[in-house]
Amino acid sequence: MSERARLVMFLAGGAGLAALLGWALAGLPAFGAFNGAYALLINHVVVAQRAATDAVTAVNFDYRGLDTFGEEFILFTSVIGLAVLLREQRGEHTGPSAQTSDEHRFQGSSQALRGLTLALIGPIVVLALYLDSHGALTPGGGFQGGVVGAAALLMVFLGGGYMMMRRVSPHGMVELAEASGAAGYGLVGLGGLVFAGVFFKNFLGGGTPGQLVSAGTIPFSSMAVGLEVTGAFVLLWTEFLDQALMVSGE
Amino acid sequence: MPLTVAVPLLGAAVLAAFCKVLPRAAIDAIGVLCAIAVVTLCALVTADTGHMIVYWFGGFHPHGSVAVGISFSVDRLGGGMAVLSAVLVTAAMVYSVHYFDEIGSLYSALMLVFLGAMVGFCLTGDLFDLFVFFELMSVAAYALTAYKIEEAGPLQGAINFGITNSVGSFFMLTGIALLYGRTGALNMAQIAATLSGHPADGLVKVALLLIMGGLLIKAAIVPLHFWLADAHAVAPAPVCVLFSGVMVELALYGLARVYWDVMSGPLASHAGGLRATLIALGVLTAVIGAVMCVAQRHIKRMLAFSTISHTGTFLIGIGLLNPHGLAAAAQYVVAHAFLKAALFMAAGILLHRFVSVDEHELRGRGRGADAGLRVAALVFVGGGLGLAALPVVGTFFGKSALESAVGDAHGYAWVIAVLILTAALTAGAILRVAGRVFAGWGPEVSRHHSELSAVSDMPETLGPHDRTPAVMSATPAILLVVGLGIGLVPSLRDAIAQGAATMTDRASYVARVFDLHAAHTVPVPHAPLSAEAFVFAALTVVVAVLTAWLALRPPSWRVARTGERVLTPMIVAVRRLHSGCVNDYIAWVVAGIAVIGGALALI
Repeated sequence: MSERARLVMFLAGGAGLAALLGWALAGLPAFGAFNGAYALLINHVVVAQRAATDAVTAVNFDYRGLDTFGEEFILFTSVIGLAVLLREQRGEHTGPSAQTSDEHRFQGSSQALRGLTLALIGPIVVLALYLDSHGALTPGGGFQGGVVGAAALLMVFLGGGYMMMRRVSPHGMVELAEASGAAGYGLVGLGGLVFAGVFFKNFLGGGTPGQLVSAGTIPFSSMAVGLEVTGAFVLLWTEFLDQALMVSGE
Repeated sequence: MPLTVAVPLLGAAVLAAFCKVLPRAAIDAIGVLCAIAVVTLCALVTADTGHMIVYWFGGFHPHGSVAVGISFSVDRLGGGMAVLSAVLVTAAMVYSVHYFDEIGSLYSALMLVFLGAMVGFCLTGDLFDLFVFFELMSVAAYALTAYKIEEAGPLQGAINFGITNSVGSFFMLTGIALLYGRTGALNMAQIAATLSGHPADGLVKVALLLIMGGLLIKAAIVPLHFWLADAHAVAPAPVCVLFSGVMVELALYGLARVYWDVMSGPLASHAGGLRATLIALGVLTAVIGAVMCVAQRHIKRMLAFSTISHTGTFLIGIGLLNPHGLAAAAQYVVAHAFLKAALFMAAGILLHRFVSVDEHELRGRGRGADAGLRVAALVFVGGGLGLAALPVVGTFFGKSALESAVGDAHGYAWVIAVLILTAALTAGAILRVAGRVFAGWGPEVSRHHSELSAVSDMPETLGPHDRTPAVMSATPAILLVVGLGIGLVPSLRDAIAQGAATMTDRASYVARVFDLHAAHTVPVPHAPLSAEAFVFAALTVVVAVLTAWLALRPPSWRVARTGERVLTPMIVAVRRLHSGCVNDYIAWVVAGIAVIGGALALI
């Protein structure tokens, strides 16, 4: 198809779709009209039922825990899919050759940057653990904490270079962490089946709302997701950086 | 019931965690055992399903008429599709034990994720959860398509597949968001209850369009089908087994589920227009798929277009919007799944032995005495005849039921001719391959002789092999036997009749999910086999054999040459549209969905 024909077809179709979407949006509730029976219900029962003070996390990891199971595996599968696509091929070999190890040294790695990143690593790790573990209490949870945690390793990369990042996060360990995070969330769900007879049943007692150890299984699910997300992001960067810096073809 | 999803996903995580440590035999064994466990679990759940089982995850039962958690709402059709998915995944994993010379454990992990996602998609009763599993299925499928990274082809095919289907996901998610904005609900039964009683307005129609759009892209309905042939041509054969055998059919299952159990209430007064739209799409897909199928010489692409043609046929069945059509389509899907799976595996044997699936290049080379080649020959002959609905084997019962359902629908009797012709053409192409490759019939054609030359084919295993591993011949042989014989199992027909009746009874579906009193659903009665069924089947087989015959022994009559002169430019023009350029595909998708939307706006 010629570029012109394609453009005409796309624009005509797009205009039609936009018109249809406008027609649909006109049917939504008016501005200010609240149609959230579900939100009201959850807000009403969440503290009493689950001792969780963050309703969003409670919905993610408890009321609709199965969705999160699937979503977590979407991330997991994307990353192992990427690992499959970027795996070492026949005729390629991995290893820092003299040329690449020179290239990969981050040019802007000054003393000031090193000092700053070194100072940031600790607080970032603490913040990540805080977000992972306090999901049931305050906004946050495993997905957010996991991304923040992965940022700590980016700091290592910035300050210490790629080989340093590889040394503190060995590939095998990261893979293991990612998979055990994914499995761990499922195992919490399975725990519900074993101890309370229903998959994803919150089988631990709620505890006191506002306490760190409260809301039953939610903190554990959240930590597992945090581990999975950190592992997934680190693996993602490692795979791409590997491909860019370490792999040389024939 | 939750284990049906938990086992494959956790199995995948375990395989990914220990991929470097475990020996290959252990990885294969874990993968296959997980898949077998899922078959067993799904079969148990389905057998246990009277009308419907509702399972609330986390034990959150509905609060009055508001669903608090997520439910699996399983009826016979949903459970049956889950069983079918699990059986094909098991077969594909057994088949691939020796298929790849180098296979990472990640292949098995991806297959298990794919399985878990398909099962979840079949069983869920929640619209957003349906989308989550749909997306998970897609992500695993993209990676599996590109599995052979040594070539540019698989990557290109996977990119076309990924981009086109991601656009579909956007459509679907937007549609779900619109429905959520209207109803404040995600559980299908709750949405249905909230929507029913009001006539469909713009929002409901466009939500249907967008959800349907995402599913029709995945189901490879013309003109949204372009990705499928590219992906099938390059994906490993055992992966094609799953794509053609169940994945595209699952998308149509999703469409039936969303129509019947969510939106049939407000759309009741528009059913006539929707029927016309869906049947028109189905006919277009069946015809284009069949024509393109005959015009291929790359065997995997040919089988891919045969699948497109058949999904068109299934869409006709579902598009009748009555229980008879749905039951007929379901029965057709089952036989087709086994036969198409066997055919892709046979193509995999050819690829394994000769590093080629070009029909002309392989001419006569399949005559070897090797067991694998004999099986492949049998599969192509049996699969061709089975897809041509040779009486009492293969797709015969499904196709007859569909013909009678179409015949009963007012004004659609002409569609029977489409069903016969397209089934005959696609089957004829397969018989042609059988004659040329395994018997050496037909004139010799050089690789670049015709305008209809093939894309290059990719070796999936290292170099040609002298023999075929036993599992690679045994698996397609078993699938062929099952595919040929499965129509004869009366309990399957009963289960499908029961399932179709349950699925199409929206009021009872809602009542069962919310644990209210539901009226007893009467199974769809069997249409007795009429003499017509045998006449139609005989006609199909004759036209199929004739198609193959004409291709292998081109007659010198003038009428044939005139026909060729007229038809070839048309076929070439249609082929040109399949450019392999994803930009074109997206333009087609946008324009196609807009046209379907226009039709929905007018009904």
